[in-house]
Amino acid sequence: MAVDLEELKQKILEFATKKAKHKSKMYIKDLYKADPNAKPREIKKAANQLVQEGKLEFFSSGSTTMYGVPGFGKSEEDQFGKLEE
Amino acid sequence: MADVKKHDTPMCDELKSGPWPSFVDDIEQKGLQGKQACLDLLGQLELSYVHKETHWKHGGIVGVFGYGGGVIGRYSDAPEQFPAVAHFHTIRVNQPASKFYNSAFLRKLCDMWDHRGSGMTNLHGSTGDMVLLGTTTDQLEPVFYDLTHQMSVDLGGSGSNLRTPSCCVGRARCEWSCLDTQAICYDLTQTYQDELHRPAFPYKFKFKVSGCPNDCVAAIARSCCSIIGTWKDDIRIDQEAVKAYIGGELKPNAGAHSDRDWGAFDIQKEVIDLCPTKCMWMEGDELKIDNRECTRCMHCINVMPEALRPGTDTGATILVGAKAPILEGAQMSTLAIPFIRMEPPFDEFKEFVDKIWDWWMEEGKNRERFGELIQRQSLQEFIRRAELKPIPQMVKEPRSNPYVFWSEDEVEGGWKRDIKAFRARHAA
Repeated sequence: MAVDLEELKQKILEFATKKAKHKSKMYIKDLYKADPNAKPREIKKAANQLVQEGKLEFFSSGSTTMYGVPGFGKSEEDQFGKLEE
Repeated sequence: MADVKKHDTPMCDELKSGPWPSFVDDIEQKGLQGKQACLDLLGQLELSYVHKETHWKHGGIVGVFGYGGGVIGRYSDAPEQFPAVAHFHTIRVNQPASKFYNSAFLRKLCDMWDHRGSGMTNLHGSTGDMVLLGTTTDQLEPVFYDLTHQMSVDLGGSGSNLRTPSCCVGRARCEWSCLDTQAICYDLTQTYQDELHRPAFPYKFKFKVSGCPNDCVAAIARSCCSIIGTWKDDIRIDQEAVKAYIGGELKPNAGAHSDRDWGAFDIQKEVIDLCPTKCMWMEGDELKIDNRECTRCMHCINVMPEALRPGTDTGATILVGAKAPILEGAQMSTLAIPFIRMEPPFDEFKEFVDKIWDWWMEEGKNRERFGELIQRQSLQEFIRRAELKPIPQMVKEPRSNPYVFWSEDEVEGGWKRDIKAFRARHAA
């Protein structure tokens, strides 16, 4: 049975926010646990929509992409420094 | 000379002394034309040679708005010394199929990159993308706008995404191509836009398409899913041309390797004896081939291209699971489908892809390549999930490499048996 997308997004956001307090970056596989009944493709779709909406954010090492919650962990500027004008 | 500062780089400079053109020369030349980023790059490289460790930090930025790939964030950890490379992000640009460009496009790309980036490019990266090396965060969106609106190209794949599909030159210029490689590459790129631009998988996934078993894009060694052109019918033979090769009127290998005298062409030694399945022989002055035994190695066709050509009943062989040696060593692709028609809209192939992606997305561990999942869970499980029929070609070494196992429900009595009853019939 297809999962309601908005409901799934809410579950993912709650799960990610809770998890982000301990670990700020998570793999897509970690987000599967937000709703064990949802299929991986549905989770992926919902998580990517949350990124579009600015509620989640991507973090990449170049070879792997992870998800984070804005405001948790180090920001881009904290990590890498602000470019001088 | 433009107002730029050149760092003292004795070790980098030494690389200019070799017999081949050096990247140091190219970068320095560009820097002296006014690109401080190029000179700072060499300065930082020199520092890395001194310290014997990198001074780059990776990560963070993944793309432009709406994209989860295409940009690889790169930052200097010595920004005070090398401020022009404090931010030095790489942008991957999806190359056109088979890398066909016209000079106007390349000029426009270079002009844009001179304006918005370091001016340095790498055409092409291993995946096939055009790689634009070094820009700052504030230039990412303008670069993306210029690429998409003025040059009609898109960002390529990076991170846990589908990587930019790539293909050989195919039928555009190669008479051996059994596939329209460009049509396949373009169709896959368009079909899987979401997977290409937004992370979907445990790790990267690569499609590569080669038109014939010569495999000019090395799909069998480098791609999670290799699509390699092949044929079902007989190799086409022009017996008159065979005679011309034997008689010396035609040059073997189309004249390649002719920089030294290898003596007269010997069809027995150079073709027939080298056939891996020994399926060729001469009958009088006619070349014969037992096509049932041919493994499509392409050697005879490569040596005598005017006499031999691939058949006309063409399609593709699909192999899966190649990867570079991060875990468990490098791995070549394993055969999955010996022959599949590859005509638009490629539905049969895409159904196969959906099945293997479903399995990988469900079962793949973080940072586990598709080939590693097959290694971990067995080829048998791959065959089951891909709904394929096991065939002898999948078994590399019978007995010592028992990839195909029985499952319990296929065995009478399952795994449980009465050992006493067994021993009554069989001595220990």
